[in-house]
Amino acid sequence: MVGPVNGGVMLQFDFFTWLAGIPDWIYGILQWIINLVLGVFYWAWGIIEWLWAMVFSPANFMFLFRAVLFPGLIFVVLTLIWAVWFTRKLWGRIQDRRGPFHIGKYGGLQLFADAIKLIGKETIIPDNAKRWMFRFLPCLLLVVVLLPFCFIPWDFDFWYISDLSVSLVLVFAFLTAVPVVSLLAGWVSGCKYSLIGGFRAANNQFAAEIPMIVSSAGPAMLAGSLSLMGIAQAQTSVWFAVVLPVNLATFLIAAIASVGVFPFDAPVADSEIIFGWRTEFTGIYFTLTYFAEFAEQMLYSAIIVALFLGGPVGLPFLPGAVNFTIKFIITFFFFVLVSSSFQRLRQDQIVHYCWRYLLPLALLNVIFAMLAIVYLPELAALLPLGGP
Amino acid sequence: MSPNILDEAIDVWFGPQHVSAHGWATKLTLVGDYIVKCDPNAGYFHRSAEKVLEYRTFRQGSLVMERMCMLEAFLAEYPYVAAVEKIAELEVPDRAKVMRTIMMELSRLHSIQFWWGQFNAELGFFTMALWPWVDREYSLDAFEELTGSRHTVSFSTPGGTRFDFNEKVLKQINRAVKRFEDRLPKFRDMQMGSPTFRARTKGIGQYTAKQGLKWGLSGPPIKACGIPMDLRKDAPDSNLAYNLCDWEVPITENPDHPGESDALDRMEQRFKEAETSVEIIKQLLPQLPEGPIIDAKARAKVNRLPAGEAYGRVEGTRGITSLWLKTQDKAQSAYRAKIRGPCFASYYALKDLVPGAKFADFIVIFGSLDPYPGWWDR
Amino acid sequence: MGFFSVLGDIFKILKHTFRQVFKRPFTYFYPFEDRIYPERTRGRHIHVRQNCTACAQCVRSCPVVAIRIDKDDKMYEKDAALYFDYTRCIFCGHCVEACRFNALFHTPVVDLSEGDRRDLIYGPDKITTLEREPFEWRGRRFR
Repeated sequence: MVGPVNGGVMLQFDFFTWLAGIPDWIYGILQWIINLVLGVFYWAWGIIEWLWAMVFSPANFMFLFRAVLFPGLIFVVLTLIWAVWFTRKLWGRIQDRRGPFHIGKYGGLQLFADAIKLIGKETIIPDNAKRWMFRFLPCLLLVVVLLPFCFIPWDFDFWYISDLSVSLVLVFAFLTAVPVVSLLAGWVSGCKYSLIGGFRAANNQFAAEIPMIVSSAGPAMLAGSLSLMGIAQAQTSVWFAVVLPVNLATFLIAAIASVGVFPFDAPVADSEIIFGWRTEFTGIYFTLTYFAEFAEQMLYSAIIVALFLGGPVGLPFLPGAVNFTIKFIITFFFFVLVSSSFQRLRQDQIVHYCWRYLLPLALLNVIFAMLAIVYLPELAALLPLGGP
Repeated sequence: MSPNILDEAIDVWFGPQHVSAHGWATKLTLVGDYIVKCDPNAGYFHRSAEKVLEYRTFRQGSLVMERMCMLEAFLAEYPYVAAVEKIAELEVPDRAKVMRTIMMELSRLHSIQFWWGQFNAELGFFTMALWPWVDREYSLDAFEELTGSRHTVSFSTPGGTRFDFNEKVLKQINRAVKRFEDRLPKFRDMQMGSPTFRARTKGIGQYTAKQGLKWGLSGPPIKACGIPMDLRKDAPDSNLAYNLCDWEVPITENPDHPGESDALDRMEQRFKEAETSVEIIKQLLPQLPEGPIIDAKARAKVNRLPAGEAYGRVEGTRGITSLWLKTQDKAQSAYRAKIRGPCFASYYALKDLVPGAKFADFIVIFGSLDPYPGWWDR
Repeated sequence: MGFFSVLGDIFKILKHTFRQVFKRPFTYFYPFEDRIYPERTRGRHIHVRQNCTACAQCVRSCPVVAIRIDKDDKMYEKDAALYFDYTRCIFCGHCVEACRFNALFHTPVVDLSEGDRRDLIYGPDKITTLEREPFEWRGRRFR
């Protein structure tokens, strides 16, 4: 007996009761340890189950398939390699020569050979450059350019990665970041030519983004939605290129200016400022900036197809993704054709012409389209206006 | 903004390692986008041709000269040959005179096509850079059929020429001329009709004829101002056949700024020069006389020349190219040869012409004056 | 108005460029096809030792001293062996002009690149014959 008794405290305790309680105590400790272990085990198993479900449950697996294989990362990268090959061959044909033809049949493996060679080259970082930004910016550039490919509606019911209700705005947000990265890249390279090239890239953005966004406001208004999927879906009866042809042209030209390809390639003018903001990048960084330029061109072609040329809408017996790809190839062809046909404009001339000609034309066409819809009811019937 | 705008000037070396600098180094002082000062530095391409000529015999000297500017090889080797002929008092047969003239005009056409492609490449227009270069291949085929080499032709030799025309050569020359004429309308569309080209070159690098002459320019940069200054008419060489045909000196007059020329005028001027060359070739080809192609006593006389001084010059594609030769009695090689290259003057003309232009116009101005490092650095 | 004429110009240029895409290119599909070299092409030399008289005029007339003569190396009665240094030769043709005995000629062979500098100095065994080692590339024989 232990405890308070008659105003005092009994200090004796029963030894054998205590002895009888030890196995219980040990058992309790064992139970606690086993619970701990089991708890950890179940927690780990739960994570593995979660991972498994993440990859292999049917809905998730298809999402991963779409995000990584088609039309996601692998498809975009392979299309990028194809686009560079196509561009080089097409430049060759326009210039009365063949493009690359030695490596691989019709030069198909030339890009791989170039990529392997470039990655193996020594990367030289100038003393004046800010090292970590110098290494980081080309990667950032490629990532920012490849991300908006998520929102391109390759097909309506299944082959798209995501469909936000404001995906057009988000795509433009990404694309607006690209010249800023160019400006930064020109600055961190620590060379006067890169600096001048970076300024010119920012100037290009200043000149070309506004006409581009106004041109894309046209289809957004006609479709009544700001998502690329919605705009593509709204073209089931008539393509917006028929209603807004001038907008198509101004968007194409503004896109060329925004990327910085030939008539507007003052930021990368290789006869004036060696290679503009890309001058000091060598090896793997050069590969990233080179591919980023072509990825941007591809992205603009895809956006043009979605905005103006109906996206997946086309020949009824072909699946939508194939329609989209055919139109994409044709748009890319015209991209390259227009960019090989003119001399390079001076930077202030780019700003001058974009603001004086492109912007009013884009605005005029939008206003025209609005008036046509109000006064021509048959046209309005074709378009899903006033929709959700 | 500081009160002295030069405080914010940055120095950019449009240096020897540059895609379109062709081997010169120019220090440009920029304020914002405008060039404030231009400091040309020649010398990166010096090959000491004048010294080398002192170690080559009189028949081998033209080889050195033609390598000064291989694009206009026939025109480049002629001043030396003319000077030697004057000192040695050789008589050139008529057939050689006409052949030389025809090939020199074809060479001028070739050089203009090369410059054209290069100018467009500097403007970023690779399509129109390669199309004239395709036509250039036809001229090069003619050169190879005649002399055996495409660029280093070594055709003129003191006393006449080394190779003779035959059927195949005439066929190739006709092909080259015809190709140029066929493609000219398309090229005019693509070049002069291109709004970006006009935007890029109108009003750029404008100078009056008087300023040009003060800087020492000659040839197309002066003719584009409307002044008919052409050595082929002003001082016709007796060993060439320019007086056998009927032609006008090509000049370009621009009503917007008479007496001045900008880059667009200089482009137009070179179109006209090419057309004039083609006209001369077409008039001279039927007039080809029969006969020997070299003076019979040439080999004997040219071995050792008497003492003398002579001045041989030619209207090259870029301006007046001349050579002053001094020999000592019974010497086998020149005592002193001084070469005057036209591009030396045009390069240093940039010092006064460029300030005030934008940075991107520098390459347009320089390209329109047709630079070639071989002529200013020799 | 100036604007529409500019637009017309732009479309004309685009038309020219578009039509060029579908024409056959001008370049040759080297090395599978090559152009025809004219007979006067100044390529590598060939020395015909039967006609050579060891007069050494070719050595004298070369501007860059690319020929070396060895008069003791005789195959016929009065000839000599010539060593051509193709790292110095400028293919001017003065040596061929200087030879009065029809012993030295140019040939249209112009693809002379070698991997080693010493292979470019053609001794009497190489300079007297046009045969050379066949060139194998990707399982095909050229030359």
